[in-house]
Amino acid sequence: MSAALLELDDVGIRFGGLQAVANLSFAVGANQIVGLIGPNGAGKTTAFNLITGVYKPNAGRITFDGTDITGWAPHRIARAGIFRTFQTIRLFNGQSVLVNVLAGLHLQTRQTWWQGLLRTPAQRREEERLRQTAMDLLARLQLDQLADTDVASLPYGVQRRVELARALVARPKLLILDEPAAGLNDHESAALNETILAVRDEGISVLLVEHDMNVVMNVTDHIVCINFGRKIAEGSPEHIRSHPDVIEAYLGKDDEDFLPPAIGSAA
Amino acid sequence: MKAVLDGINRPWIGAVLWLAGLAVPLALDQTWMFIASLFAVYAIVALSQDIVLGRAGMFDMGHAVYFGVGAYATAILNTQFNWPILATWPVAVLLAALAGAVLSAPIVKLRGDYLLVVTIGLNAIFVLALNNNLARMTGGPDGIFGIGVPSIFGWQLASASAQFWLDWVAFAATLVLIHNLDRSHLGRTLYYIKHDQLAATTMGIDIRAYKVLAFALSAALAGFAGTLFAALMAAVSPGAFVFTESVTLFAIVLVGGQGSIPGVLLGTALMFVVPQAFRQFAEYRYFVFGIAMVVVMVLRPQGIWPRRRSAGAKA
Repeated sequence: MSAALLELDDVGIRFGGLQAVANLSFAVGANQIVGLIGPNGAGKTTAFNLITGVYKPNAGRITFDGTDITGWAPHRIARAGIFRTFQTIRLFNGQSVLVNVLAGLHLQTRQTWWQGLLRTPAQRREEERLRQTAMDLLARLQLDQLADTDVASLPYGVQRRVELARALVARPKLLILDEPAAGLNDHESAALNETILAVRDEGISVLLVEHDMNVVMNVTDHIVCINFGRKIAEGSPEHIRSHPDVIEAYLGKDDEDFLPPAIGSAA
Repeated sequence: MKAVLDGINRPWIGAVLWLAGLAVPLALDQTWMFIASLFAVYAIVALSQDIVLGRAGMFDMGHAVYFGVGAYATAILNTQFNWPILATWPVAVLLAALAGAVLSAPIVKLRGDYLLVVTIGLNAIFVLALNNNLARMTGGPDGIFGIGVPSIFGWQLASASAQFWLDWVAFAATLVLIHNLDRSHLGRTLYYIKHDQLAATTMGIDIRAYKVLAFALSAALAGFAGTLFAALMAAVSPGAFVFTESVTLFAIVLVGGQGSIPGVLLGTALMFVVPQAFRQFAEYRYFVFGIAMVVVMVLRPQGIWPRRRSAGAKA
């Protein structure tokens, strides 16, 4: 496992009396798409917040690209190469798609604040270069026609794509997607699958939380299933699909009336 | 196309209004020239307040401190150390910027309302220090009189019109800087921070560093306005930098429109020009402005002349 890009080692966090994540260990290898699944409230988003520095773990160690990043501030973790999207879309409303995507270029920006205030020729060239980089990526995700549109006026599925564009333009080493298919129609969801696979082929590792089992089963190489903050199973999609603990976590032991459509449709 | 027209039109309108202002000394009397100069100075302070409040989204209700630091720096250096006014400019601006950075560094992490209370406290301490004749230099409650006039290349800007030109040019320079800010990486970054700190920080933005930078820049600009103010009035006293002045600046930005240059200028005109022009109503200005604040906040919370969507989109 020494080749792993991201490695969680016995990571835990406690909020007051609630152990939200406990003894969580898993790894994301280079060029790998890893899915993190589990019932609602299992601690998936908390795990993402731990990895991206939004929360600091009480226990354990997180290593990224050979560096211990445990407890780092989120902006330093971004600098290390981890970028993410959010379960509840967090775009900068009131601004255009282009300006939103330019946020992802923050770390690649080379202008100083005083160059900006004076609008020097070098700064103008830099702005043009940033705009071009952003537009190229928008074109790739079929968003270029919407570059000047206020993100708040866009349909949900398109907003998700803008958020993905904002993370992708940052050239992450690891892309973290929190329920990227939530609220997407079948067509959008299929396009998302293709995008995720294409991203992986460019050498970007992906870690995703998803309830849509079509996405999870079709694109991931490896799945980690957690429940009540603890890992209950790990392995290939085929392995996870038939794992008794996973089925129990989703279906419950006795309650046979409750059949989540997610697992059902994937099987 | 509409966006392009938007981008060209508004600065163009601003330039025309500014040029029209140049006619004030030709067409109107000394009083109006003074009012126009005062407007220019207060417009610069209000625009500087808008960097922190309207653009970075920090509730700074002690902005008169930085205005005062600039004004007192010029007053003290000129009257007690015989520095020429222009030579005091860089010191006034740097001292104000330093005050902004040092005072804000420990507090920018505070949530909006807490930050607001702390900045009120800073303003109170500042005025107290001035009133108590800090370092035997600030002159106590009476302040400092007899501040000299600026001179450029040996030419004394003694007349009211000369002061007007100076302030009016400084005002133009400020407008250009703020306009550029909105189209720069820094302007965008402040917008990201104001609207979603979590999303901003996960994009690699060091929020604290940018907030302190916003405070320092804003304070520098306020300090610059302060030095102009000292030269224009030929005197400074604590009364010009008290908490109610900070509230007024805060209100100008909220009522005019956060992050909107025309909005802030409109607010400044309402607050500082109208009362001067109609002296008999001057004592009612807080009354009128207070009502305006209530009405605007209820009916039009984005301000009278809000920032246009996608300002800063012009890459």
